[in-house]
Amino acid sequence: MLKYAVKRIVLMIPVIVIMTMFVFLIFYFAPGDPVSRIAGPNATPEVYESIKRKYGLDQPFIVQYLRFVKSVIEGDLGVSILQGRPVIEMIKERLPVTLQIGLMGFLITFVIAIPAGVIAAVKKNTVVDYLCMLGSLLGMAIPTFWLGMLLLYVFAYKLRWFPISGDGTIKQIILPGFAIGLTNAAITARMVRSSMLEVLKQDYVRTARSKGLKEKTVIYSHALRNALIPIITLMGLKLGWIIGGSVALEIIFSIPGIGRLMVDSILARDYPVVQGSMIVLTSSIILANILADILYTVVDPRIRYN
Amino acid sequence: MKIQKFRRFIVIILTIFLLSSFLPGCSTGGVSETSEDSDASGASGTKSPEKVLIIGYDQDAEIMDTIKTAWYSDALIYIHDRLITRDYEFGYKPGLAERWDISDDGLKWTFYLRKGVKFHDGKDFKAEDVKWTFDTIKDPNTGSPFRGDLEAIKEVKVIDDYTIEMVLNYPFPNLLYNLSATASGIHPANAYEKYGDDYGKKIVIGTGPYKLEEWIPGDKTVLVKNEQYNWGPEWMSNRGPALIDKIVLKVIPDENSRMMELEVGGIHLLRNVPETYVEKLENNPDITLYKEPATKLGYLAYATDKEPFTDVRVRRAINHALNREEIIQFVLRGIGEVAYGYLPPALKDEYLEESKELAYEYNPEKARQLLAEAGYPDGLELTLSADNSSKSSKLAEIIQNQLKEVGIETKIQLYDSASYADMLREGKQELFIREYSWSNADIIDWFLLSSRFPYPNHSRWVDEKTDELIMYAAQRPTWEERAEAYKEVQRYLIDQAVWAPIYIPMQMIAVRKEVKNFKYHPWMLQYNDGFDIEVK
Repeated sequence: MLKYAVKRIVLMIPVIVIMTMFVFLIFYFAPGDPVSRIAGPNATPEVYESIKRKYGLDQPFIVQYLRFVKSVIEGDLGVSILQGRPVIEMIKERLPVTLQIGLMGFLITFVIAIPAGVIAAVKKNTVVDYLCMLGSLLGMAIPTFWLGMLLLYVFAYKLRWFPISGDGTIKQIILPGFAIGLTNAAITARMVRSSMLEVLKQDYVRTARSKGLKEKTVIYSHALRNALIPIITLMGLKLGWIIGGSVALEIIFSIPGIGRLMVDSILARDYPVVQGSMIVLTSSIILANILADILYTVVDPRIRYN
Repeated sequence: MKIQKFRRFIVIILTIFLLSSFLPGCSTGGVSETSEDSDASGASGTKSPEKVLIIGYDQDAEIMDTIKTAWYSDALIYIHDRLITRDYEFGYKPGLAERWDISDDGLKWTFYLRKGVKFHDGKDFKAEDVKWTFDTIKDPNTGSPFRGDLEAIKEVKVIDDYTIEMVLNYPFPNLLYNLSATASGIHPANAYEKYGDDYGKKIVIGTGPYKLEEWIPGDKTVLVKNEQYNWGPEWMSNRGPALIDKIVLKVIPDENSRMMELEVGGIHLLRNVPETYVEKLENNPDITLYKEPATKLGYLAYATDKEPFTDVRVRRAINHALNREEIIQFVLRGIGEVAYGYLPPALKDEYLEESKELAYEYNPEKARQLLAEAGYPDGLELTLSADNSSKSSKLAEIIQNQLKEVGIETKIQLYDSASYADMLREGKQELFIREYSWSNADIIDWFLLSSRFPYPNHSRWVDEKTDELIMYAAQRPTWEERAEAYKEVQRYLIDQAVWAPIYIPMQMIAVRKEVKNFKYHPWMLQYNDGFDIEVK
């Protein structure tokens, strides 16, 4: 299994290389450059060109790309054109808070979705089931950023239990965590329910019941475990998107995370920073999927990677 | 046994979550934050509570260095002092320079510097610091965007420790303005060599009333009062150390969140209040809203080197086609003034008073007639470009409608700000919407001199008479003569209908009741001038 994980991680490298080339190409051909922002609206051609030269932006595409590749190999991901600071340092500052929000959201998703899905499946076609599914329908219909604004309005502005804008304490991640958690829980609960229903029809569940096991044991250790496989796939995909997906929430909750860093850098055309954050984003998606693959073997011993 | 395995699964999930708290730096943000908070409360236990003023901003600067960017953080206004200051009436008054002489030909400016001024790192302020600052800006290798503004300076000479002489290439009274701008903040000599790469990121040294304590890019800037400060300009009521201990410049990118923070007191002061919130804020007893015409101008421009804009009749027709009151109602909710000329009226010395009489009134009939005379009786089809902000897109919509009235069909093209700048530089524009924010008449030079073609002269206006008038005005030996000469420039520009000026927006500052002694300043709020704050 270790061999498998190592192999998958090594396979990340070509994916990242191709991704960086794409990003570089898009940026190279997209209109606009970071100089406009440094130079301001009154810059004369002479001043403009001298700033461009200073940052090496007058060089041909291949020279600029190779310089970027060199900085990646050296491990520092280059220097931000606008801030003049190493990209790796900027990412280190911004990543933790984004991860905190994402994992908070992830935990909330689990805590809500699994019990809700299981209960809805077990009590199929009862009021409890309908309520759970109605809640889930609502959750799916609400966009994350809108829920974020709603939570902000009620719990931070009206009730003042939480800060409106990021204050650097752990309190700041709770509302955005709920915004991610609640919307994700909605779809996850539906998957848990349908997957449970499928499993509950299986012969081995009937066997378990007929050999006199307690209903609780049947549901939690026989049915749920087998129902979890598709959930893990979904979670693997979601976990990867946590880093890229919280941009809107980082703006609403004024949290300086990596999503905002990426958007600001795209708008200002700060190429090295966009590349750096894209590498982090791509790796996180791939790693989360590898993690999901490994988790399969834990849940279902029949799955083996050789 | 199966239950055990399921537990193992749960344990793994929990481990993943817990791992997050061990990730490098994961908790450092929180920890440093709380330790700072406890410092503050610790201090408040022993002496009087700390006075902290929190100001909301929509975005942060990328670099904390006046020399290297045109996008300044307001923090730099308070970290640095400048040779010249501007008082509440916009007049030029002594700053770090106690006084100055200008030779009769206007080519030699001698500044006598204030003594006993110290930088935040303890170094005495001397003439060499002034020389280093301006030499560094002027050095092409620095890549300073401010270099163009100081073109007139030939040489900066140190006469003695407290006297500096600037030799100019030509008379240039506007040096007053340039030396009082944020970009002219004085740095200690050899700051780059001394502080290396950290300068402008973690360290910034000035002589100003506040020192940089901490800057977390994209989040906040914390300034702490300079206790030694006693060299405030004469026109300030408080020339000594500021009354407020700390200023926090907090970045809150979302407009709604900013307003909520203001209402609950999470921030005390907010500049650039959007027009949509004015009514709500005016009804809030905790908040005072200060409204003054801004030194900004919103206008419709056109590529004057392209057909049909080469014809002055077409340009005048466009001016006649715009119903400016309606635009201000629709886009600015009625909060703003009609613009008639090329400068904001807040520039009292330079603004041409009779702009209103000379300007083109709303008259669609006349517009159609002028178009017909110019050879376009059936109207025109053009593109109208704007940046993609909600304000500009609304402007584009209503201008599109008004132009349609007189037979000009337009296709709106919206760009993100970087692409918009690029497009204008390349000269692809026909009709385009712009708003400038500048508190000096030299904005006309930047945007309309032929030597600034193709950019920043985006209206692509190449005209000998304009060049002649502007150069004459810019190089008058005295400020008064310069101001008079710029009026002549404006008269000519109105006649030629080079742009279609539309509106002067309001500068709106919302201030919470905790802030005491608030004084409106048209340009730079002077928080060290007796501003105080009530502590709960």
